[in-house]
Amino acid sequence: MSTQTISKASTWGGGNSPFNVSYGKLMMWVFLLSDAFTFSSLLIGYGAIRYSYPSTELAQIENLELGFAQNVQEKFAAPGVDAHHGEHFIPALRDLGVFNEFQWPSPDLVFNHFPFAHGLHLPLIFVSLMTLILILSSVTMVLGVEAGQRGDQKAVSKWMLLTIIGGFMFLGCQAWEWTNFISAGARMWANPYGPPAFAALFFGVTGFHGFHVFSGVVLNIIVYINNLNGTYAKRGHYEMVEKVGLYWHFVDLVWVFVFTFFYLI
Amino acid sequence: MSSHSNQKVDIHDEVNYDPTVWVPKAHSHGTSDIWKKFWILSFLTIADVVAYFVWPPSISRNIFFIVMGILKAWFIVGTFMHMKHEHKKLGYMIILPMAFIIFFLYWMMYEGNFWGTI
Repeated sequence: MSTQTISKASTWGGGNSPFNVSYGKLMMWVFLLSDAFTFSSLLIGYGAIRYSYPSTELAQIENLELGFAQNVQEKFAAPGVDAHHGEHFIPALRDLGVFNEFQWPSPDLVFNHFPFAHGLHLPLIFVSLMTLILILSSVTMVLGVEAGQRGDQKAVSKWMLLTIIGGFMFLGCQAWEWTNFISAGARMWANPYGPPAFAALFFGVTGFHGFHVFSGVVLNIIVYINNLNGTYAKRGHYEMVEKVGLYWHFVDLVWVFVFTFFYLI
Repeated sequence: MSSHSNQKVDIHDEVNYDPTVWVPKAHSHGTSDIWKKFWILSFLTIADVVAYFVWPPSISRNIFFIVMGILKAWFIVGTFMHMKHEHKKLGYMIILPMAFIIFFLYWMMYEGNFWGTI
């Protein structure tokens, strides 16, 4: 590496990188900014449509007297009906007027399911788990990037593999969440919990995000295989791990806001 | 990079800068900061869920959730996406446009209150 100082026309005069960043990484940042605009437009649309409906009133929820981890299917099943089959919670809340087409459903009444805990009222627990899975897979990704900066090929393989597993776990969780929502009767045009726009936005935005996660997993697998083949060791740098890592962290970042808007607000 | 002497071009060459291959030299910043940020992000997520149940719905609660989201974004972009170690102007290029988006987001949530239902 030369230590001589060379005269350049100016910072932006060419012949150097003003941001001290490679072409590929700069372009990844530009892409992520444009993708952030796309997701922002979806979330802005969500925010406007969400508040064009009145919220479910607190008194309506408190009157239900739902306990944490209470079996709501048993609680709302008609007397003499087998509570373990069929759906009893949604029809009961529709009869009570808590779920209706003219008010936005409270997310803790919609997303209260957890795998292997059928019928139990566990609001927002599953989506919190999904968030933690995605944050953890972001951590394994950044540890892979750090290993690449040290040129440690084996460690990159290990962390990339864990990131791929984390990505599949998240996709599995999302598939479960969708299956639940669809089997309750939600469609792009219909929603047993309230306004159809709620379901349309849920499928649209989490679907768009889920497809980003899927694309990220595919990119991670490509980088993992390239690394096993020694592509980056031969190239002399592991910046491809970093660039794909940027995309993966972005997907995590978007989920933070999807979580905030769909499940909290 | 001396072990790759068979390479035709020096990927770190500042003098004969070739934008198609040039990359700055990578530096590791260690793993302790990464794990610290993991615990902060986990704590913020759990704090969000706790706030959801102890704080009745209100505009101030929504602002709290958005601020918590921006705080999480700060740690993800800064540490995980390495932004705090990048050139400052690159950071401005990304963060400043997003500042307008946050304003737009809040604006449209407020606007929605005066719409008919869709």
